[in-house]
Amino acid sequence: MSTMLIAVILLTLLALFFGVLLGFAALKFKVEGNPIVDELEAILPQTQCGQCGYPGCRPYAEAIANGDKVNKCPPGGTATMEKLASLMGVEPEPLNAEAQSQVKKVAYIREDECIGCTKCIQACPVDAIIGAGKLMHTVLTADCTGCDLCVEPCPVDCIDMVPVTPNLKNWNWRLNAIPVTLIQEIPHEEKRG
Amino acid sequence: MAFKIASSPHVTRNLQTSTVMQRVILCLLPGLVVQCAFFGWGTLIQVLLAIIVALSCEAAVMKLRKRSIKASLSDNSAMLTAILIGVAIPPLAPWWMIVMGTAFAIVIVKHLYGGLGHNLFNPAMAAYVLLLVSFPLQMTTWIAPSTVALNTPSIIDSLQLIFNVGAHAGMEQFRLGIDGISMATPLDTLKTDLSLGLTTTEIMTKTIFDGSTGVGWFWVNLAYLAGGLVLLKLKAIRWHISTGVLAGLFVASNVGFLLSPDTHASPLFHLFSGATMLAAFFIATDPVTAATSPRGRIIFGALIGVLVYIIRTQGGYPDAFAFAVLLANLCAPFIDYYVRPRTYGHSAG
Amino acid sequence: MLTLLDQLDKGTLWRSPGGIHPPEVKFLSNTTPISQLPLAREYLVPVPQVGENCTLTVKVGDKVLKGTPLTQGTSIWHLPVHAPTSGTVVAIEPRASNHASALPVNTCVIAADDEDRWCKLTPGSLELSNQEMIAKIHRAGIAGMGGAAFPSHIKLNPVSEIELVIINGVECEPYISADDRLMREYSQEILAGISIIHRLLAPKRIVIAIEDNKPEAIKAMQQAVSQSVLPTGSVRVTVIPTKYPSGGEKQLIQIITGREVPSGAIPAKLGIVVHNVGTAFAIHQAVTQGKPLIERVVTVTGQNVGKPGNYWLPIGTPVEHVLKHTEFHAEADQKVIIGGPMMGHALPTIQVPILKGTNCILVPSSQEIGTTPEEKACIRCGECANACPALLLPQQLFWHAKAEEYDKAASYNLKDCIECGCCSYVCPSDIPLVEYYRIAKSALKQAADEKHQAERAKLRFEARIQRLEEEKLAREAKAKEAATRRQATMTATDKDAVAQAMARIAAKKAAAAETTADKATVEVVDADASNNTEAPKGKAAVAAAIARAKAKKAAAAAQGADDAESSQQVVSSLQTASSDQSEPTEHAESLSQKDKVAAAIARAKAKKAALKADSDANGDTEATVSANQPVTESAISTDTDDKKAKVAAAVARAKAKKAAAQQAESTDVAEVQPKHEADAKPESTNESDDGAGNQSSSDAEPSAPLSPEDEKKAKIATAVARAKAKKAAAQQAESTDVAEVQPKLEADAKPESTNESDDRAGNQSSLDAEPNAPLSPEDEKKAKVAAAVARAKAKKLAREAGASSDANE
Repeated sequence: MSTMLIAVILLTLLALFFGVLLGFAALKFKVEGNPIVDELEAILPQTQCGQCGYPGCRPYAEAIANGDKVNKCPPGGTATMEKLASLMGVEPEPLNAEAQSQVKKVAYIREDECIGCTKCIQACPVDAIIGAGKLMHTVLTADCTGCDLCVEPCPVDCIDMVPVTPNLKNWNWRLNAIPVTLIQEIPHEEKRG
Repeated sequence: MAFKIASSPHVTRNLQTSTVMQRVILCLLPGLVVQCAFFGWGTLIQVLLAIIVALSCEAAVMKLRKRSIKASLSDNSAMLTAILIGVAIPPLAPWWMIVMGTAFAIVIVKHLYGGLGHNLFNPAMAAYVLLLVSFPLQMTTWIAPSTVALNTPSIIDSLQLIFNVGAHAGMEQFRLGIDGISMATPLDTLKTDLSLGLTTTEIMTKTIFDGSTGVGWFWVNLAYLAGGLVLLKLKAIRWHISTGVLAGLFVASNVGFLLSPDTHASPLFHLFSGATMLAAFFIATDPVTAATSPRGRIIFGALIGVLVYIIRTQGGYPDAFAFAVLLANLCAPFIDYYVRPRTYGHSAG
Repeated sequence: MLTLLDQLDKGTLWRSPGGIHPPEVKFLSNTTPISQLPLAREYLVPVPQVGENCTLTVKVGDKVLKGTPLTQGTSIWHLPVHAPTSGTVVAIEPRASNHASALPVNTCVIAADDEDRWCKLTPGSLELSNQEMIAKIHRAGIAGMGGAAFPSHIKLNPVSEIELVIINGVECEPYISADDRLMREYSQEILAGISIIHRLLAPKRIVIAIEDNKPEAIKAMQQAVSQSVLPTGSVRVTVIPTKYPSGGEKQLIQIITGREVPSGAIPAKLGIVVHNVGTAFAIHQAVTQGKPLIERVVTVTGQNVGKPGNYWLPIGTPVEHVLKHTEFHAEADQKVIIGGPMMGHALPTIQVPILKGTNCILVPSSQEIGTTPEEKACIRCGECANACPALLLPQQLFWHAKAEEYDKAASYNLKDCIECGCCSYVCPSDIPLVEYYRIAKSALKQAADEKHQAERAKLRFEARIQRLEEEKLAREAKAKEAATRRQATMTATDKDAVAQAMARIAAKKAAAAETTADKATVEVVDADASNNTEAPKGKAAVAAAIARAKAKKAAAAAQGADDAESSQQVVSSLQTASSDQSEPTEHAESLSQKDKVAAAIARAKAKKAALKADSDANGDTEATVSANQPVTESAISTDTDDKKAKVAAAVARAKAKKAAAQQAESTDVAEVQPKHEADAKPESTNESDDGAGNQSSSDAEPSAPLSPEDEKKAKIATAVARAKAKKAAAQQAESTDVAEVQPKLEADAKPESTNESDDRAGNQSSLDAEPNAPLSPEDEKKAKVAAAVARAKAKKLAREAGASSDANE
């Protein structure tokens, strides 16, 4: 009888102890909940392209937090969708739009064709086009997010989306992608004299 | 003609994985020879059997995995695993045990985890533990060393015993020592006798002991130690793990011995009994399942040493290297996580 | 406790962790003196070579002399490049770069004239001030010659105080002997360079570090030091044991001082600067002789070179030229390596130049370096960790890099990897570890860049939203202010008048409200049009561009047409359109530019209209005909060169198109068709009918000049009428019972538009009016606005029509 009593008391004490410990830990190490919207927004590519149907990345992040689907961001591609899905704890779904090729693109204005209508400037969500009425416009490539929003409004179709070419600074070291150059045997210099 | 493009460096040291494995195997040979000298042909037969099984299992698995069979067999890792199992199990254990153990080691422990370099546990030790747990009787019954045994099995006897043909009673005969009792390993004897209340000094007077260590086992361990030192010299292994193991075992056994010499065997006995040297130089040093950083490896080795001592003295099994190694394998990722070397240019801590 | 300086003076060395001892093959190249090669035919000088951007000072065709600067830059990071020989700039174009990727970079190609004439050099002396000296070094374009090509003038002008300068003559890569030979042959010059560095940085000590496998160089340098004018004890030669990679900046600092450069920091933070011996030599050349950095010592070595050795090569010499003159013979799968075997990169092509940091060309035979064995599984042997000089855990890095868990790799301090290659060298499984790290590093960099850009984009987006908001508020405030001001100044007497005016405005607004959606577009087109007035030539281009764009869009629409029949029709109508085109083109020569523009627009429209008509299953050619009409008309009118006429034509065309579009929309075309015709006609008549001086008939007489005010009014009327017509058309399309609705709309539209334009004189919206009196620029502008508006609407309608016809189908 007494052994059983001891066991019960011991277990109760243990339970109490761990309960207190857990409670203490919960207070002491409380994680300031990072609002889910901020986290979602951090994942989104910030192109502000509106292809999700919301006017910018933040509104879409809010919409996801409120239960919208995670597959509406073509610029982010599948990788972003998967991150969103794992953050929201939902099943990943295929992108609803044709996923853009992973090649980053930026807008390019053919400047001699530009008539200076300012329509693209108004369309650009990140103010990455500079120019004034009746004057030629140009794109700040460093700030362009490649969202395509300026292409449609152009009345003279002088905006192209050109893929960013790799340069020595951002080359990805995929050596296998280098085309093999065939070389000719270098003719030996005839020995003179 | 095309230019070959490759990333730097363009030169490499000509030391291959297969060469490293080969060296380890070669350094095992002295120990194997001494073991055969004391315990008969059985060990050699077990080793050959294990090699055949291991290589065929490896080939079969590689075929199933649609990888290059040749590349896999030529890295010698399967052969090394087989030899380790072969020397670890009792020389006259029935053939199906070693077959089962080796197949388990190669197919399940090694390849189900992703093959060479990906296995979490030491395949040889996992196989040993499987056999030990499943067939404790066969796994703890060694034959008496030839110097003290009444009968030494011939090569024919060994084959018959292992393949279970001919006289069934034969085993009993070879297990009997000179005083007619069933011959267990010195560690086993020590354990049993200690539980009977005998002091270590009394136990050491038994025929199976030659005063301080087990008959034959001392020489076997010495041979493995020699092989291990050659390995160190060849830089096929680094000193950290072996030193860790031996130091851990030495310190732990010393503590026990100093506290109570009557109930604890001497450090010397522990260092030269059972599989101590084999494990310290050939089993625990398996890099795949060990910790990676030098400091981590010392900790890893010491953990094995201490665990061995604890299990030998407190546990239910006479020798404990297999368990100790597997437990340490479990801890390796944990050790790696916490013991990272300080990178150049980073402040300590 | 000895201070660091005492330790330095004693020559105490510290151990640097890791490292390897690859076989030394310096004997191939270090026995012969540095020699020259014949001039190449062409030199390839990448611009810019160091630094982000620069301005070219030469253009194609320019003659340059040896040493002429080719670039100019404003940034402190920019280093000028100089012509390596005299000759002509034959091209400035992207050429393959001397980089593992061989990606093309802008390169100035100089054809040598074989004279090798120097430009005028300004030798300096040691009397120069420090700033002048640094400027001179900057102008000479001196970059670190050890391989990294960091601008030297920056290292010579540090912000913090420098205690120790290490002159790096270690050259730990097997094979390379360029610095070795340089030290043997030019020890005096190097020491002169060192004394310049001493003057500029005023360090407490200068240590010349040389590996013990270069006894001759050590001797030469020691001798030079003993003869130097520098204060005794301030310079010493320290011999360090041979080990790779002792020559790495961080490793060398550790060996000499026992201190580690903090991760992510530069040695200057410890008060230490490291310069290469080659740099010291170049500094001497630049300061005392004024010679820019245009040549350097390059080791050409390997068993596949007939004449291995060290050569003075002008920067920009093609590697191909060098190999040709050193009797290179290639084998299958030949590697041509720039730099040493440990850290150099293999070239994909040899048409690349020697750069400022190129210290070696290695062409090994396959026996020499062995073939690349296949990668095997990592057995975590830890050899790599033992060899790593940065004390990393290479196998963990590899594990994560291979699994593309780059963030985890980063947590193992991937960025501290110096890519020395020791880990790959010792790996028994032949894993190209460094390649994995490079890929991981570039991926991490890309991810960081993207993140940075995303943050920027977000900031900019938010800033924009805020700006728009502020602008809106400002506008509202202004409007309010204006209203209050008006109210305040208002007197009782003119209240009635004001009220009347207000009423009128309200009425107008109501009418205009329907077109609000279009307003923005209209405004922009306005700007567009007014631009035209200012620059008639530009205008033509604009119109042409728009026409092109439209034609393109029309073509795209045509492609979209799904049934075979209609596509057939498209073809036929295109033919029609093109035959139409032929007419105006005949006139083209005699026409003014403006006429051409108009013609082009008309063409484009005709095409579009034709397409629209074709999408109609009915295949009624009426639309085509009506589209053709304006073309002909405009062609005729071009003879007279009247802008107004064109405007009118444009408006009419727009309407015709509209009608056509509606046609396409309607399900029962046969029925609707006539009505539309009727609809369109009265409308256009509406607008112009009641005006005095009416030109709406095809044979109208020239009208008298109109007052601008009237004109304006007329146009407003036109716009309103159009808006209504549009609305009516839209409703038409919607309504199921077209026949019934039509007349009513007719009736509605008529009175209203008549009201509006009733008493307005001067309506110019006729089809093909006769020459009018010349118009003021203002009028012209207006006319164009009208035309633009018409176009915009036509475009919109066409789109709607397209959409609805899709829906119908």
